[in-house]
Amino acid sequence: MAPVLDVDDLHTEIAVNDGAVHAVDGVSFTVHRGELLGLVGESGCGKTMTALSIMRLLPGGGRITKGTVVLGDVDLTAMSEKDIRSVRGKRIGMVFQDPMTSLNPTITIGRQVAEPLHLHTDLAGRAMTDRVTEMLNLVGLPQPSRRLNAYPHELSGGMRQRVMIARALVCDPELLIADEPTTALDVTIQQQILELIDDLRTRLGMAVILVTHDLGVIAGRADRVAVMYAGKIVETTETQRLFGNPRHPYTEALFEALPENAAGTNQPLYSIPGMPPDLVNPPPGCRFAPRCRYAEDSCRTDPPPLRGEVTGHDYACFFPVGAAETGPITGLHKPRPIVVDSGFGRHAAEPGAPLLSVTGLVKDFPITAGAILRRNVGSVSAVADVSFSVTGGETFGLVGESGCGKTTIGRLVVGMERPDAGTIWIDGTNVATLRGKARREHQRDTHLIFQDAYAALNPRMRVGAIVAEPLVIHGIGNRATRLNRVREVLAEVGLPRGAIQRYPHEFSGGQRQRIGLARALALQPKLIVADEPVSALDVSIQAQILNLMSDLQERHGLTYVFISHDLSVVRYLSTTIGVMYLGKLVEIGPAGAVYANPVHPYTRGLIDTIPVADPWARRTGDDGVRGELPSAIRPPSGCRFRTRCPLAQDVCAEQEPPLRTFGNDGHQAACHFPLAVPTFAAESEKSVGTA
Amino acid sequence: MAAYLVRRVLQSILVILLVSLVTFTLLHLLPGGPARAILGPRATSQQLQQFIVQNHYDKPLILQFGLWFNDLLHGNLGYSYHLNENVASLIADRLPKTIVLMLLSIVVALLIAIPLGVYQARKRNTVGDYVLTGFSFLFYAMPSFLLGLLLIILFSFVLPWFSPEAPQSDSLGAILADGNALVLPVATLALITIAAFSRYTRSSVMENLTQDYVRTAAANGAKDSRIVVKHVLRNALIPVVTLLGLSLPALFAGALIVESVFNYPGMGFLFWQEAIVRDYPVLLGVTLVVAIATVVGSLLADIAYAVLDPRVKYA
Amino acid sequence: MTINPPLPEQVHVSDTVAAPVDSGDAPPKSMWRLGLEVFLANRLAIVGLVVVLLFVAFCFLGPLLYHTEQLRTDLAQANQPPGTGGHPLGTDDVGYDELGRLMVGGQSSLEIGIAAAVMATIVGTLWGAIAGYLGGWVDAIMMRVVDTLLAIPGLFLLLLLVAIFTPSTGLLIVVIAFGAWLTPARLVRGETLSLRTREYVQAAKMMGGGNRRAILKHITPNAIGTIVVNATFQVADAILIVAALSFLGLGVPPPHADWGNMLSDGTAFTQNGYWWMILPPGLAIVLVVVAFNFLGDALRDAFEVRLRRR
Repeated sequence: MAPVLDVDDLHTEIAVNDGAVHAVDGVSFTVHRGELLGLVGESGCGKTMTALSIMRLLPGGGRITKGTVVLGDVDLTAMSEKDIRSVRGKRIGMVFQDPMTSLNPTITIGRQVAEPLHLHTDLAGRAMTDRVTEMLNLVGLPQPSRRLNAYPHELSGGMRQRVMIARALVCDPELLIADEPTTALDVTIQQQILELIDDLRTRLGMAVILVTHDLGVIAGRADRVAVMYAGKIVETTETQRLFGNPRHPYTEALFEALPENAAGTNQPLYSIPGMPPDLVNPPPGCRFAPRCRYAEDSCRTDPPPLRGEVTGHDYACFFPVGAAETGPITGLHKPRPIVVDSGFGRHAAEPGAPLLSVTGLVKDFPITAGAILRRNVGSVSAVADVSFSVTGGETFGLVGESGCGKTTIGRLVVGMERPDAGTIWIDGTNVATLRGKARREHQRDTHLIFQDAYAALNPRMRVGAIVAEPLVIHGIGNRATRLNRVREVLAEVGLPRGAIQRYPHEFSGGQRQRIGLARALALQPKLIVADEPVSALDVSIQAQILNLMSDLQERHGLTYVFISHDLSVVRYLSTTIGVMYLGKLVEIGPAGAVYANPVHPYTRGLIDTIPVADPWARRTGDDGVRGELPSAIRPPSGCRFRTRCPLAQDVCAEQEPPLRTFGNDGHQAACHFPLAVPTFAAESEKSVGTA
Repeated sequence: MAAYLVRRVLQSILVILLVSLVTFTLLHLLPGGPARAILGPRATSQQLQQFIVQNHYDKPLILQFGLWFNDLLHGNLGYSYHLNENVASLIADRLPKTIVLMLLSIVVALLIAIPLGVYQARKRNTVGDYVLTGFSFLFYAMPSFLLGLLLIILFSFVLPWFSPEAPQSDSLGAILADGNALVLPVATLALITIAAFSRYTRSSVMENLTQDYVRTAAANGAKDSRIVVKHVLRNALIPVVTLLGLSLPALFAGALIVESVFNYPGMGFLFWQEAIVRDYPVLLGVTLVVAIATVVGSLLADIAYAVLDPRVKYA
Repeated sequence: MTINPPLPEQVHVSDTVAAPVDSGDAPPKSMWRLGLEVFLANRLAIVGLVVVLLFVAFCFLGPLLYHTEQLRTDLAQANQPPGTGGHPLGTDDVGYDELGRLMVGGQSSLEIGIAAAVMATIVGTLWGAIAGYLGGWVDAIMMRVVDTLLAIPGLFLLLLLVAIFTPSTGLLIVVIAFGAWLTPARLVRGETLSLRTREYVQAAKMMGGGNRRAILKHITPNAIGTIVVNATFQVADAILIVAALSFLGLGVPPPHADWGNMLSDGTAFTQNGYWWMILPPGLAIVLVVVAFNFLGDALRDAFEVRLRRR
């Protein structure tokens, strides 16, 4: 059967000041009807440019210099501008990453979804409205006829993305291209959108190209995968073959850098040394050679062609890893363990008094409104009675989706916000009640690392001054001793001394996060709160930073509160995990136990919906978390999770569930119908629910 | 949106109150005291005393303000001894003429500036864009009186097409009917406005052209002209409405100068003439009225903005 | 058959964490140096700078080399076209040499313009920074003051003030600054509000730094760009305002000259075609104002580009 799309030796260039970036350098693949092709790679690999090239939507200065893109029977690269416009939106639909900015804020969603119909069909009036409503229904938008006149900002992120999908598919295209469609969404919503795309693919018989950096998303959905690096495809095959027997060293390295593969072990992650090559003057030979642990001389001179022994499994490498395939693949590729020379690994926490102890923490953010004077009309309940302890030397992972309050807790712990109620004990002192000089003194013991490393560094200060600032603020040492300390910490985080004189904008994302870490270490704090420190980084850079953080913890006996929405990262790094939902701590316990045997339905839902880079992993259909996040201004009564919980009953609305213990290693959860039997049965409870 | 509008209206009322307070303060800062300043150096002390009592200048300040404000609300803005007329009736006669001049200029300016700005944004960094940018810079830097003079020289003397003087009639109708004499004054005020607005439209359109929703429209198969007209303009013009509101003070000032250069019988011309002879009642009255007009105009612009931007309308 | 090369058995942890930085042995340039480079690369900026410097030299050094009588009138020599009687640009309606008057007038225009702009910028910046940083009711009150004064169109307010106070040149500067400080106040308040929420400011406070540190070390250096750019445009605006006031007869008091009242004198003779009384001062104003606008634009680019290099 002829493919829907046949891309052959595509070359795309983007003109820049001093040359041209070869963003796509000889890419070929096909997509068939009903098939989902995953185009995967890190930032800068050219996957988005490939997608845009297919639609000929390149940014200014971009052009296709070679190759063909054949859709059915026409070559899109050779078409006139007028003709390609009749393909866009009609035969190919495209969905982009950020639905908020991808929709016009001043036009109703009904009219936006109808736009392709205007452009490509004769539908008008009633018929058009009906088609739009039908489409919105198909994508799962509740009450579509009432939403036709709504504006994008009135909808949630997940609903906006559904609208985008409706708009892309309203003319029944043969091919759907989705460029990172779920990256900007919460994990539980991600799951819903990916389900939707999958479902529509089957129902409408479309071909789908899914562009993403997330291997977990690919593993669950794609039929075939193409891995891209530096503008080229380095490996392509069916999904199971790729995950079970990766042949290209880059693919192998990517798998080994995933925290979920190393979780539960005391191994560092494999981090690919170096940086991707400059695409203005790409190196001759294999592009990955400078960073490849198996590279030989021949790799650096001749570019390896994309070919393979088994039909359908192609790789571009002279010295591939793995073995030639003889039969079907049955399981995930096992990463080789990394033997380390020094005592790497997370120690169990020292027994004894906890370093950080939080009890009954409450924080509300008032909302003002009103015509003349700003009155308080309500407040956002960001943190509602949270308690936990963290022992010295351990890592406490705080996980949850947006709006759950984890960031607020981080800020409360380091003193950036004052709690409305509750206590925060750090090493014997209740820092929540401190003021003035005493407070400043104690702020030396804690430090916060921000998610956006660039925004956390003053763009007009040199790195040396930035890292030395904590010392200056607390009046420690003189210029000479401070300079020495700066040199020390920079060396510890792996930055060269020359960095001292440079400005933040001269560094990459991962390097800026190292600067942030260096600054954090300057005063030798006891506790570091890291707020999503690796969320904005590519997998391989993420691995570097996570290894670094583990290393530093080991060397200095640091205690971490690691905040993230990424459960696999949290699981890898943490000793204890706390799960938050809408301001409440719903489950807490040792990392392994919480992950392997979650007790709270939300935790279970989170774990189930997180895309795991394992095609053989069991994927639950609809046990996941349903619906949308309720408002934090008027949170649901009783258990806040009940509106989305498959096990909810009446009592969940009436009574807030208390934290109960499960087992004897500190595993607790707050649920009336937990997924396991609590260690002490409470009298007033009825029956215990089962999974 | 209702809350937003109520807040804006209340804010405007507050500002008007404060402006009247400022005006009142200035009244009492007049050299020699209000009585002497208004009646002139030749008034006798008896006349001064009478004036003081008549206008409550001997009462405590707070009471004075209350009485003065009360007078205002009844339309009493004082009396011009120089022109022998009520300030209020002077303004009532002149204000509409100034408003007409400004409205004509704004309409002409927007009709030209917006397409110009769109054109420049689409053809950015081409020769056409540079030339138009150059003209923008030129007109922006040129004082309006100089521009007026040059236009008079060029189009009234060198090329005797238009009248060098604005329509002089008393009635608004007659003024509007005298098209030929309106051309140069309106052109002067409009040209400077065009310079600013086309520049602003250009950057607003350019900023919107890089937005993601433009890419989505292109991905649906829309062509460039459709994208600009149906998608970009409604977003790009919203800040232009705000700019219009913010430009009102400058437009009034521009009108003052244009009226002076062309002898147009509007409020600005009145203000200028009376400023030279220090006719304080007129000066203070006009200041107050112009400020109120600016605040009202700005409020209207904000209402238009709230109506146009759904993020405010349905917030 | 492919042979798998052996995997390195030992991995040093430091290997996995080292990260390279842009190679380059040259010492990195400071922000000022980078900004200066961008500024000088902008051709319009050079043009603007040259024009401004030329005019300053013309107005202030010119009269030292080219002496003319600027105090006593000489009616016999009035209204002479350029070239007659040793007057390269002719004479005005009371016999003053036009070229000389252009120089002297320029002194007034430039002095008043620059002084007023500097005063307005300083006052406006302080006002806006305090309002923006402290927020709350302090901000509300301070900004209501600004809003109120902004409601009165600038020219009207200035004419009113001049009519009331009849200022000397010095006070005229104050009066003009009084109208002009509102814009920088608004601008700086906006900047301060936005900078206050930046993460690096929050980080400084998280580390124990106080308000003073946040303002001096973090907010001000990042707001300087906006302030300087606006100050440049303020000069251009102030020169235009002085000219307008003088044109209307309520600016620089006689017998001082400035380009504005030179134009005003020339207006009376538009019909006679005495272009030399209109064109030179008009051209001078336009050139200087355009030059300052070029400078302002170029400075804006110079301050911003350093943040956008990656």
